[in-house]
Amino acid sequence: MSNKPGAPKGPAKVRAKEQRAAELRAEAERKRRAENLKRGAIVGGLLVLVVVAAIFISSRSGEDLVASDVGSSDYGLVVGEPGAPREVVIYEDFLCPICGVLEEGAGEGLAAAAAAGTVVVDYRPIAILNRFGPYSTDSLNAFLVVQQEAGDEVAKEFHDLLFADQPSEDGPFPDDDWLVEKAVEAGAEEAAVRPGIEGGSRMADVEAATQEAEDAGVQGTPTVVLDGEAFRDGKSWDEIAENLLEEIS
Amino acid sequence: MAHPLSALRRGSAPGWLGLGARLVVGGVMIAAGLIKLPDPAASIEAVRAFELVPASLVEPIGYLLPPLEVVVGMALVVGLMTRGAAVISAVLLVAFTIGIASAWARGLEIDCGCFGDGGADPDAASQYPWEIARDVGLLALSVFLVRLRSSRLALDSLLFRPPIAPVPTAALDDLNEGSLP
Repeated sequence: MSNKPGAPKGPAKVRAKEQRAAELRAEAERKRRAENLKRGAIVGGLLVLVVVAAIFISSRSGEDLVASDVGSSDYGLVVGEPGAPREVVIYEDFLCPICGVLEEGAGEGLAAAAAAGTVVVDYRPIAILNRFGPYSTDSLNAFLVVQQEAGDEVAKEFHDLLFADQPSEDGPFPDDDWLVEKAVEAGAEEAAVRPGIEGGSRMADVEAATQEAEDAGVQGTPTVVLDGEAFRDGKSWDEIAENLLEEIS
Repeated sequence: MAHPLSALRRGSAPGWLGLGARLVVGGVMIAAGLIKLPDPAASIEAVRAFELVPASLVEPIGYLLPPLEVVVGMALVVGLMTRGAAVISAVLLVAFTIGIASAWARGLEIDCGCFGDGGADPDAASQYPWEIARDVGLLALSVFLVRLRSSRLALDSLLFRPPIAPVPTAALDDLNEGSLP
């Protein structure tokens, strides 16, 4: 750079250059910040997009619950009169603790409403908690045996007794004798149910019932379907049970 | 300035500690998220089991947590948007700690659902102290990452341009000789 006539000379010139350099640095710093902000916004936006997409996909798969009509399953227990104004389908596992909470909260209320003709309930027990032990499967087999040998009414009583005296997921698990005892208490004849309970005579149907529920889009227990729509309104299952009774009353 | 990898060599001992913190918090987040990701129904019930969240928010939170944990965990492990990811993980860990402490205080016996499952757990009370200690430890590491600003082997150092270094005195000498435009 050549010296122009009239340009400051000496220390003044140095100061001017230093100031110019400082301005350039400030300008470069400003550009750097703007660039970093832009890059951060783009990458941050992409990450948010990934999360949103994942939520969208997983919540969509949760809506695939196929509305299945009351009485349409070969493995259900229908309580109440078909044609009642409200229809409830309940998928549950005899070992599932929150199914126990639901039964405790809504079981009697649903039975009363079914008796009064305002609701028809289709209980569909399934066995999905095998990872904890054999009780999930054994109890469902026993339920199907009792239903077959002693009819729906006794089976409903057996169902209620199993939930009232539900074992923990962590065991210890009751044995076949206990299941036979409960069946007899519910009103079944021991001679009629013991062979099936001990021999696992309905194990194929246990699997079929569970598969049928999975095919219908049931992702866990309890799954409550009210008039064809999943019902999960409540901050706890106590509250869901309460809200369900209120909804059908 | 010449080699892009030179940016990776910045930092000192805290930088390596930062890398360690990222791997620990990120690894735990990824594991927790991936286990829950395939089963949103279980995730929703795990959230509901705390009986803390309003009914209308139970499902959104149940769907949100697993993918959020995975993405935040991965961001921490590779060091992408590290401080932002650490802020989110800190907020999540505060929420988890409050949730577990509150469940404990109310006498609820639930599995925290931190790594899948969730719901009732008769053995829960003995787990709470350890779960809280774990979350508080991870929270401390997250806060450390927020304060540290940058750590070793982070993609952030490739993504973001570092501050311009102050002009060395040698350059000022050049100025005096009129070498700057």
